Amino acid sequence: MAPLYALGCEGSANKLGIGVISHDPATNKTKILSNIRHTFVSPPGTGFLPKDTAAHHRAHFVSVAREALRAWAPPLTSVAVAARTLSLLWGLDLVGVNHCVGHIEMGRVITGADNPVVLYVSGGNTQVIAYAEQRYRIFGETLDIAVGNCIDRFARTLAIPNDPFPGYNVEQLAKKAFFEPDGATEREPVLLDLPYAVKGMDCSFSGILGAADLLAAQMRKQDALLASGGSLKEGEERITPEDLCFTLQETVFAMLVEITERAMAHVGSKQVLVVGGVGCNERLQEMMGLMARDRGGSVYATDERFCIDNGIMIGLAGLLAWETGFRTPFEDSTCTQRFRTDEVHIKWRSD
Amino acid sequence: MAAAMETDQFPCVLTVQVPFPTARLASVALQSLQVDKELPPASDANTTGDQDKTLHVEYRATTNRMLRVAVNSFMESLNLVIEVMEHLDADVLAAEAHST
Repeated sequence: MAPLYALGCEGSANKLGIGVISHDPATNKTKILSNIRHTFVSPPGTGFLPKDTAAHHRAHFVSVAREALRAWAPPLTSVAVAARTLSLLWGLDLVGVNHCVGHIEMGRVITGADNPVVLYVSGGNTQVIAYAEQRYRIFGETLDIAVGNCIDRFARTLAIPNDPFPGYNVEQLAKKAFFEPDGATEREPVLLDLPYAVKGMDCSFSGILGAADLLAAQMRKQDALLASGGSLKEGEERITPEDLCFTLQETVFAMLVEITERAMAHVGSKQVLVVGGVGCNERLQEMMGLMARDRGGSVYATDERFCIDNGIMIGLAGLLAWETGFRTPFEDSTCTQRFRTDEVHIKWRSD
Repeated sequence: MAAAMETDQFPCVLTVQVPFPTARLASVALQSLQVDKELPPASDANTTGDQDKTLHVEYRATTNRMLRVAVNSFMESLNLVIEVMEHLDADVLAAEAHST
């Protein structure tokens, strides 16, 4: 049997991704032929609104699709409309894909982790997942906002740029907390006081965001006071954006490491795979690596080409489902934000 | 009778007719656009693609404002579908591959 090809279309958040991927069922080899992404970047201090994001995806669909093809010879609904049109124009099957399953399968192929505990962390989702009996089962998740949303919104509070993406800029600021303002002299970063909200296997981020916003407001008051020639109260710590970013990352990542470790202990796995946009944060990968090493295992992560939303992850999960005979009838090819990871029958895995 | 009741409920009506070069493209547009639920929910869309290359869409809504929102949203999606047809249809890509 010849290799199968899929064109994946992704547009569930502010990334429009289209890619072409092939899978050979005979050898189980996967090959990426193209992976094109165009991101809607909103101005500093603002988020991406569905209306503007949908307009972005509509405006760029054709050029991104053409680029994806050239290489080898509300937002999600806009992309679905275009995907349906392509399917009809080309006479090809349409396969609907669960976004999270796309992330997991892409992560498994790229890293070679065969049966890991999965931490899925992005702007819209935060879940700890383990595979059992043809389902990706959710062991723990956020009770309110996603960890990426918490970080993105804090970036808005600080009004730092959204380009290339807010989490990247928070990560860079957090690294600067290890140096004096001169950028050369090393210092000990200050871990400010933030709540720590792990509840069983679940966690919560909205209260942490609220507390971080309060600290940022306090920092601005200090800025104004010092600018007008005043001085801080005795014993009052001078708050900096760098220490704030450092503190936020350390706190939320520690929570994620804790629930992931508990899931690993529960299912007896030594592998942890981090997927989703927050998964390319190197500090999160480092903290997860330390925990996994203590357990005699290791962390599997990918860079931003694969962990940030992209088209080929949709193409890959679609191919795997197609090979097992799955098709999405045209009239059912709608989108929903309430499509949980564990609703998908993972027919292509038999372990 | 039923039609009269419907008119009472949705007094604002707009009919859009979109001619396509071929019946195939009209049918592709119809199928691509009719799957998603209409927003806002109070609007009522009735789409029929006929044999003669024209896409007929009738929008009915309770207020003119809702009608405008629904039709705007339809136009945005229609624009995308036509752009995909123009640049990504199989014959367009084949012709380009041939000429390069």
